[in-house]
Amino acid sequence: VTVVRSAARRGASPIVEALRSILLLELWVGLWVTLKNQFRPHITVEYPKETVELSPRFRGVPRLRFHPETGEELCIACHLCETVCPDDCIHIVSEKKPDGKGKRLVSFEINYERCCFCGLCVDPCPTKPLTAIYMSHDYEMADYKREGFVAPLRTLLDGIEPKEYKE
Amino acid sequence: MDQKALIEQVVIPIAQVVVAVAVVPLVILYLQLVERKILGFMQVRLAPRRVGWHGLLQPVADAVKLLTKEDTIPAKADRFLFTLAPIVTVAPALAALAVIPIAGTPFHLFGYEVRPWITDLNIGIVYLLAVSSLGIYGIILGGWSSNSKYSMLGALRSSAQMISYEVPLGFALIGVMMLAGSASTVRIVEAQQASGWWYILPQIVGFFCYFISAVAETNRVPFDLPEAESELVAGFHTEYSGMKFALFFLAEYTNMIVVSSIVTIAFFGGWLRPFPNVEGLAWLENGWVPLAPLVLGGFAGWLAGRRLGGGLNPLIVGLLLGGLLGFGIAAADVFGLASMRVPLLSGAFWFTLKVSFFLFVYIWFRGTYPRYRYDQLMQLGWKWLIPLSVGNVIVTGLVMLLRETP
Repeated sequence: VTVVRSAARRGASPIVEALRSILLLELWVGLWVTLKNQFRPHITVEYPKETVELSPRFRGVPRLRFHPETGEELCIACHLCETVCPDDCIHIVSEKKPDGKGKRLVSFEINYERCCFCGLCVDPCPTKPLTAIYMSHDYEMADYKREGFVAPLRTLLDGIEPKEYKE
Repeated sequence: MDQKALIEQVVIPIAQVVVAVAVVPLVILYLQLVERKILGFMQVRLAPRRVGWHGLLQPVADAVKLLTKEDTIPAKADRFLFTLAPIVTVAPALAALAVIPIAGTPFHLFGYEVRPWITDLNIGIVYLLAVSSLGIYGIILGGWSSNSKYSMLGALRSSAQMISYEVPLGFALIGVMMLAGSASTVRIVEAQQASGWWYILPQIVGFFCYFISAVAETNRVPFDLPEAESELVAGFHTEYSGMKFALFFLAEYTNMIVVSSIVTIAFFGGWLRPFPNVEGLAWLENGWVPLAPLVLGGFAGWLAGRRLGGGLNPLIVGLLLGGLLGFGIAAADVFGLASMRVPLLSGAFWFTLKVSFFLFVYIWFRGTYPRYRYDQLMQLGWKWLIPLSVGNVIVTGLVMLLRETP
């Protein structure tokens, strides 16, 4: 293959050059490349059957989570994510806690039709050490109805049941 | 005419015609799968895999789809010609199969002599050229009657291209006909047996001219300007759907098979084994036996290579091991191979092997080369191939003359 590199070509004598074009050398090189490539292992991922490994920082749909030990809701209804969201896709309704200290969620909706997966909602989330809202690794979002893309609090916490691929 | 002659000369050829017309479309269904597979592998893809094991039922699914699809005719199309065009394209393509011999010696079935070809015309090659050029009419009619710009342009390109390349196509075969002293396909192969070598050796220039022109004649990559999907949607068959489209498709692939067969017959000794006169290689007559381990070994190595991701090496190892085993079996005369010669099987094996190779070359070209521009196409045809093939005829004639006069 190195024979046809342009650097090698420039120094070639006219006779070599003529021979090269008469013998259609470049066409043969092309054939050799395709012949060789046939035996390379494929790089296709047969998607529903196999999936690629996601990197830890992969940004799937934003979701809410519980505290990993106590199992309580982490969200303190501060409305920061709603404020920062550039697509205006987060909608939060909150109320004062009965004991008068802080607020709690009444409803929390993310409209996935509008979400651009930018992850800006995660940055201002004040809960420590885990943010209440986070970019999950879910990406299988297809649905038949528009309503299916407005995720209520329950869906945000539990996630969407992944559909099994059947052969 | 007595009954035996009637059966041998009428009934058997008709049966052969029926078999050919029934078998070739089936072969083409799978040829198309093989094409998609090989193209996929060349592009490091997987190719069809969903329908059946490794996509083995994909052709069936395609056929069902084409057969059941709605057959639309454009509102302003010429309905009669629109329907006629696919028939006119496919009929000559299938008719060309008549003079292709797949083996050398007639065999006997229930006491009747069956020849492994449908008919042996003494003008076989000329017949092939004539019939294959009739296919252009179908393409022009189809393109014109669709009443669509794309179809029309595709048909125009196609007619110009096929008319230009018909000339070197014919000239390239004249050298072979001169050497063989006959235009009959069977006699050409027999002449190659008598001369002791395949005509690829004395006619290598003719072979190149023929094969390049043939690729252009069948409208395949890199000469697929008539359908040029990036420019003309689909060229002359843009407006066709369903079964009519399938007929165009069938014609294209039948033409590929016919062309590969002509190359095999004219330049690669048809049903002959390699080196047909070297006695020491007579075991190649049983090529289908010793080559079976080679193919199996290669296939196993290829599978292992895909599984392990080891690139070419497992394939080479598999081919080597299979080949060694095959050579061993054949050379050591295991199973009494030397006495077990079946000319029909041997002929069919070598013929199929060679034809398959050229069909692979077609696909290989498709996976490798970009399309020619229209003026480049005409330049290649008129400025290179025609002078080259005419020169080949002259040189062949001179050499023959010099060898005859002492």
